[in-house]
Amino acid sequence: MHAFDSTRRSFLRDLGLGFGSIAAAGMLEQDQQTAIAAEVAKVAPKAKNVIWLFMIGGTSHMESFDPKPELNQHAGKTIDESPYAPVLKSPFLANERVVAFDPNNGFIRKEIYPLQVGFQKHGQSGLEISDWWPHVAKRADDLCLIRSVWTEDSNHGAQLQFHTGRHRVDGFFPTIGSWVNYGLGSLNENLPKFVVMGTPVADCCGGVEAHRANYLGPQYDGIPLKIDPANPLPFAKPPKEVSLEEQRGEFDLLRKLNTITAQQYPDDQAIRARMRSYELAFRMQMAVPEIVRFQDETQQTQEMYGLNQKETKTFGQQMLAARRLVERGVRFVQVYHGSNGGAGQWDAHSGLKSSHSRLCKQVDQPIGALLTDLKQRGLLDETIVVWATEFGRTPGAQKGTGRDHHPYGFSVWMAGGGIKGGLAHGATDEIGFHAVEDRHYVTDIHATLLHQLGLNSRDLAIPGRKRLEKEFGHPIEPIIA
Amino acid sequence: MRAYWHALAPALIGTLLISPVPASADVDYQRDIKPLLHEKCSACHGALKQEAELRFDAAALIRDSQAVVSGQAEKSDLIERVSSADPDLRMPPEGEGEKLTDEQIQLLKQWINEGLSAPDDEPIPSRPEDHWAYQLPQSPAGLEASSVNPIDQLILRTQQQAGVKPLGPASKHNLVRRLYFDLIGLPPTPQQVAAFVNNDSADAYQSLVNELLNSPRHGERWARHWMDVWRYSDWSGYKNQLRGSQRHIWHWRDWIIESINEDKAYNRMVVEMIAGDELAPQDPQVLRATGFLARNYHNSNRNIWLDATVEHTSKAFLATTINCARCHDHKYDPLTQHEYYAMRAIFEPHHVRTFRLPGQPNLNAAGIPRVYDSQPEAKTFLYIAGNEKHYDKESPVAAALPAVFQSELNSVPVSLPAQAIFPALKPYVEAEAIKQAQDKLTKLEQQPPQATKDSQSDEPSIVELKREETRQELLSLHARWAADKALYGDKPLYGDKALYGVQQAPSTAPNELAQSAAAAERRYRVAKAKRELAEKQQQLASVTTNDNEDEKKQETAIKNAEKAVENAEQQLTKATNEAKKTDAKYSSVGKAYPKQSTGRRFALANWIASEENPLTARVAVNHLWRWHFGQALVENTFDFGLRSPPPQQQQVLDFLATELTAHNWSMKHVHRLIVTSDAYQRASSSAESVAESNRQLDPENKFYWRANVRRLEAEAIRDSVLHIAGSLDTTTGGPDLDHSQGQTKPRRSLYFRHAYEKQMTMLVLFDGAGPNECYRRSNSIVPQQALSLANSNLAWSQARKLAGQLVQDAKDSEADDSFIALAFKTILGRQATSAEITACQEFLSDQTELLKGSTRTLLGGTAKADIPASSEPEQRAKENLVHALINHNDFITVR
Repeated sequence: MHAFDSTRRSFLRDLGLGFGSIAAAGMLEQDQQTAIAAEVAKVAPKAKNVIWLFMIGGTSHMESFDPKPELNQHAGKTIDESPYAPVLKSPFLANERVVAFDPNNGFIRKEIYPLQVGFQKHGQSGLEISDWWPHVAKRADDLCLIRSVWTEDSNHGAQLQFHTGRHRVDGFFPTIGSWVNYGLGSLNENLPKFVVMGTPVADCCGGVEAHRANYLGPQYDGIPLKIDPANPLPFAKPPKEVSLEEQRGEFDLLRKLNTITAQQYPDDQAIRARMRSYELAFRMQMAVPEIVRFQDETQQTQEMYGLNQKETKTFGQQMLAARRLVERGVRFVQVYHGSNGGAGQWDAHSGLKSSHSRLCKQVDQPIGALLTDLKQRGLLDETIVVWATEFGRTPGAQKGTGRDHHPYGFSVWMAGGGIKGGLAHGATDEIGFHAVEDRHYVTDIHATLLHQLGLNSRDLAIPGRKRLEKEFGHPIEPIIA
Repeated sequence: MRAYWHALAPALIGTLLISPVPASADVDYQRDIKPLLHEKCSACHGALKQEAELRFDAAALIRDSQAVVSGQAEKSDLIERVSSADPDLRMPPEGEGEKLTDEQIQLLKQWINEGLSAPDDEPIPSRPEDHWAYQLPQSPAGLEASSVNPIDQLILRTQQQAGVKPLGPASKHNLVRRLYFDLIGLPPTPQQVAAFVNNDSADAYQSLVNELLNSPRHGERWARHWMDVWRYSDWSGYKNQLRGSQRHIWHWRDWIIESINEDKAYNRMVVEMIAGDELAPQDPQVLRATGFLARNYHNSNRNIWLDATVEHTSKAFLATTINCARCHDHKYDPLTQHEYYAMRAIFEPHHVRTFRLPGQPNLNAAGIPRVYDSQPEAKTFLYIAGNEKHYDKESPVAAALPAVFQSELNSVPVSLPAQAIFPALKPYVEAEAIKQAQDKLTKLEQQPPQATKDSQSDEPSIVELKREETRQELLSLHARWAADKALYGDKPLYGDKALYGVQQAPSTAPNELAQSAAAAERRYRVAKAKRELAEKQQQLASVTTNDNEDEKKQETAIKNAEKAVENAEQQLTKATNEAKKTDAKYSSVGKAYPKQSTGRRFALANWIASEENPLTARVAVNHLWRWHFGQALVENTFDFGLRSPPPQQQQVLDFLATELTAHNWSMKHVHRLIVTSDAYQRASSSAESVAESNRQLDPENKFYWRANVRRLEAEAIRDSVLHIAGSLDTTTGGPDLDHSQGQTKPRRSLYFRHAYEKQMTMLVLFDGAGPNECYRRSNSIVPQQALSLANSNLAWSQARKLAGQLVQDAKDSEADDSFIALAFKTILGRQATSAEITACQEFLSDQTELLKGSTRTLLGGTAKADIPASSEPEQRAKENLVHALINHNDFITVR
C-alpha cells in the first residue's frame, strides 16, 4: 500500500487514474510515469533531452556573448558622466531583492570598465562572440543567444534561483531538472533520468538543492555521477572481491525468495516495485560505469573534447559523458563548472581578464566539441544544450580589475532541440546594464525547455503545493523554430 | 484598493457580449462553478470574510445575493465585475488572484443564464470559529467500561457503518516484530521472538509492551520521530562559519531522548522547548530544550530566522499554518496578517547564546545553545505584502494570540537570577580563570633561580618579569571578579583578606571594589608592558650581536627591532601614566544580559500546554497515531485549519486527546492504549473473501480493517543491519558523529550529523528526514536504495560477520536449527517456508560450486569491506545467503 509517495498517489487519483486500478493492471513506477507524462504533455515534444551547463560565480555577459563597444568609448568615465546615466534611475533596479547585505560585493559600480577581450562576428549569422570562446563561436549558427535575462538576487543565492525560479530566501523548491524528471518517462530503464556532474553549487548559494526535487520527493533528485569508472554513483559497486557471477547468483536467489513472498501477499505492490528496483539497480550498475568508459571513443573524439590537455580534461570528460548519457536516453544532464567551495570561480571581483580567460579555456573547447559531436551524430535536433550562469557582471569596474555582480541583464544561450540557431534574441542597453528588449526572468528559460520537451510548465504542479506565477515562466516563442 | 461591488461600468457590457468562446454543452455546479468560485472568490466572499456582504461559497447564498440575476448573466454584477477591463473594478482584485479566463467567464454566464441550478443539499460552510478543530475535544459518549479497548469500540462503530469487517489478529511472529520496530526501532532477536511466541500467559503481550516502553532504545526511536517534526538539525555553515542552527545542538537531541524515556509530560516538554530559559533560567538540563528555538538561527537574515520560528512553532504544536498570513490575510483560516506579526512579536526579543559548561571555556568546542530575550524592547512591524522594506514605523504590532482562539497572551515579565544575567558568576567560571593564572604562575615559579636575574645586569630577568605580570594578573582577576560580584551578584560578596593580600583587601562598597579592580587591572597592564619591553630589548640585543652575513638584512632586522623597542617603551609609558588614575573603570569579567525576560514565550508555551487548548493534544496524538499506524487520523499533520475536514475517525482522535490530558500528558499512556488495541494488532493481509470485499469498500484502509504493511524508516534500516549482526553500539547520547562514518561506526543512526549538506548518504537514499522540514517522510522505492544495501561495505561486512556467527549458532542449536532456518529467524524474524529452504539449499550448493570454480568477472569495484570474504567457498556462499536476506524485501518491511 505504501509503495509510492502518497502525494503522487493523490495526484494520480486527481487525474482520474486511481491507484488501485493502476496497481491491478500491474503497472509499476515507469508505467505510472508514462501515464503522468501522457496526461501532462499538452504540446508535441520537439526535443527529448537537455544538457544544462551552469557556470558558477557569474560569467561576464559583456566579455562573452554580449559585447558592448560603448564601454571602450567611455572607459574611465562614470556612468553618470556618460550618455547612459539614465540606467541608474531605471525602475528595473527595483527587481533586486537584497537579503544578506554584503558590505563588499553586490553594488552598482559606476566607473565604466572597458572590455577585457576583443570580439568578432561568426558564422553566416554574424553573431558577435568574444575571443575567449573560439570553439563555441564556430558553432555560432547553432546558437541562440538570449541577451536579456534578469534575476532578482544580487548575491550568489542567484545560483539556486536560476534552478528553482525562486529567491534563495523563499527556501528550497523543485529544480528544473527535477520537474523534467517528474514530468517525463524514461527512455532507458538502465539509467537514471536526471544526472548531475561536476562539483555542485556550494552551500552558501543553495548547495545540492540546486539539483534536488524538494517536495516532489527524493526519487526525482538529480543523481550525481562521477567520472570514475570504479565508483560513478554512491554504492555503484560492491567491494572489489565480489565478482559478477557471485553477485548474479545472489540476485537470482533474492528474486526467487522475493517471488515466494510476493505470491504469499498478492496485493502488496511494494514488493513488486522493490524487486523491480533491484533489477534496475543491477542494470544501472552495469550501464553507468559504461558511460565513463571513454576508451570506447576514437582518439580523434577524445582529443576534440580536450581529454589530452590538462586544462580541458575535466570538463571535456564531463561533456563527453554528457553526450554518452543523452545518446542513451538520459533526459536531463546538469553539469556544474567553476566550484571553489564558495561563490564560484567565475566570480571575478578582480582580475577578470586572467580568471575569465583561464576558465573559458577550460570549457570552450569541450562545449564546442559537444555541439559539433551532437550535430554530427544527429543528436542536436533532439537535445537542447543550455549554457547559463547566475547573473552577469557590472559594466563598471570593481577594484580596478574586476566587475561586481549584476542581476539586471545578462546572457545565456541555447542550442539544438528545435531552438532557432544563429539568433540573438533580446538585448541589453548600450553599456550592458539593463535587459531592455524582450526581457526574460530565469523561468522563461525553464518554460522554453519544458515546451520543447512537450510539457507545459503550468501543468507541473502538485496538489497542495501552490506555485507562484513567476515560477511557471513563459516559453520564449520567437526563438522556437 | 478594493472597489465597491455596486460601482458599475456599463460601457464594458458590450465587450462581454462578443466573447469568442462558444457555450459548452452543459455546465455543472459541482464540477465547474463551485471550484472556480472557491479558487477565485471565497477567500474574501465566504465564511471567512464577507467583503461587500457577499458570500459565494454556496449556491443558496449566491441566489439570495444582489450579485446575480437568475437567467440574465448580462444583468449580473458578478459577470460585470469579473470581466471588467478596469483593474480597479475587476475581481479578483490585483494581487489577490489571477483574472478569470474567457472560458471561465463563459461558464459562469451559462450557469446564471440556465438558472443557477445546484444540488439542494449543498451545505453552507459554517463560521470559521465553529470549525471542529477549534472546539475542545470531548471524550466520546457511549464508551462501555468493558475489556474492549475504547479505540476498538469507536472504530467498530465506523466499520459497521461502512460495512467493512476487520481482519483477525496478526500472527505472533508478525506481531512481535511489528512491536519491536514500532517501540524501539530494532528487530527482536530470535530468542526474543521465541520468548514471546512461546509465552501463553494472558499478559504476555502487555508485559512485552511495558518492557519495550521502558527500554532506553524506546527514547531513541521516538526521539527521531519528533526530531522530524521539530526540525532537528545540527549546525550548518561554510567551513567553520556558522550559518544555520547552532553548534552543540545535540544537547537538545539528548534532552528529547531523555524526556521520552522518563515519560516527561508532553505539555511540559512544549514549555521547556519554547520557554525553558524563562521557566528554569539557571538549569542547563532544561535550557537544552530551547534548542527547539535555537535551531532556527539563521546568520544572514533575522526575518528568515523569525519566520521559521513562527511557522514551525505553529505547525508543530498547533497544526496551524499561520505562515500563510505573512504577506496577506490567510486565505482559508481565520488568521489575519496582523495576527501573524502579533505572533512574531512573541519571539521578537529572543536570541541565542551558548551556556558555558564546567571545564569548557571554549564555546566553539563545547557548551549548550540556548535562547534568551536579548532585546525586550524590540519592536515588530507588519511588513506590507511581506516585504521587509515596507512597513509603518509608527505602528508596531503588540504580541498577541490569534483572535480565533479567544485567549489572552498573559505575559508577565520574568526577573532573572544573577547567574542568568551575568553568567560569569557561575563559580566554576571564576575558579577556572583563577586556576589558569595560578597554574601559569606556579610553572614560572618552578623555573630555576638563575633564570630570574639577567646575567649582564641587575635588571630583573624576563622570567621574573613574567612572574610579576602573572601575579598582577591574578590579583587583577580577583579584584575584577569581586567588583562584578558586587555589581551583579544576588548579594554582595565580600572579599577575603587572605585571598586578596593585605594591601588590596576590598572594602564592601561596590564603588570601592570597582576602584580596586580598576587599579589592579592597571597595575597588571604596567607589569605586562614591562615584560614586553624587556622582551623586545632582548630581541634587539640578540639581533645586534648576531653576525648576519647579509648586511642589508641585518640592518633591516636591527631597524625593526629598534622600532619594536620604541613601541614597547611607549606602551609602558602609557600604562604607567594610566596607573596614576584613580577612576573605577575596569573590564568586566564577562558579558551582562538583560535582567528581565519578557515572559511572552512562557505565556505562549503555557497557552499551548493548557488543557483548554483545543489543538495541542489532538495534534500530538495524531502524530503518535501515524507513527504507530503509518497513516494519520488527520492526514495533514501540520494543518488542522479549515481545509482539514473532520477526520473519519474524529472520535478516536478526541478520545486519545482527552486520554493524553487526563493522564498528565503521558505519551507512554497513549502508546500503551494504541498498541494494545485490536486495530493495532490486526493482520495486514488475508486470503479470505472478507478481505476482498473490504478492499472494494475501503481500499485506503480508512476504517483500519487491517494493519498497514510498512517500509522501515532510513534509520531503522541501517540500525537493523548492525543489530542483527550483534554489532550495534548502544551507547546513548553525545556529540554528533561525523556523517561520513556511517558505514563504519556502529552507533545508532540518530547520533550522526544531520544538517543541510551534512547527511549520511544511505539515510538520504531511504527518504531520511529533510533537516529543514519533515512533517511526513516520503516512501520511495528507487534503485539507489537497492545499490546501497547490495553494495555497501556496511551490508557486506555485517552479512559476513553474521554468517560466521550463524554457523556457530547452528552447531550449538538445541532445537537443531539449520543455518538456513537460523538465518531466516535472525534476519526476517520468522521461520523459512519449505519452498524457501529448498531455494536456499539449492543456492548454497550452486554458489559453493561457482565460488570453487575459476569463472570470475570482476565488477571493477575498488572498495574494501571491513570484513573480508571467507576463503572457504562453502562459507562464502553462506555469507552470500545472509547478504541476500538483508536485501530481501521483508528485511526492511513490517507486516
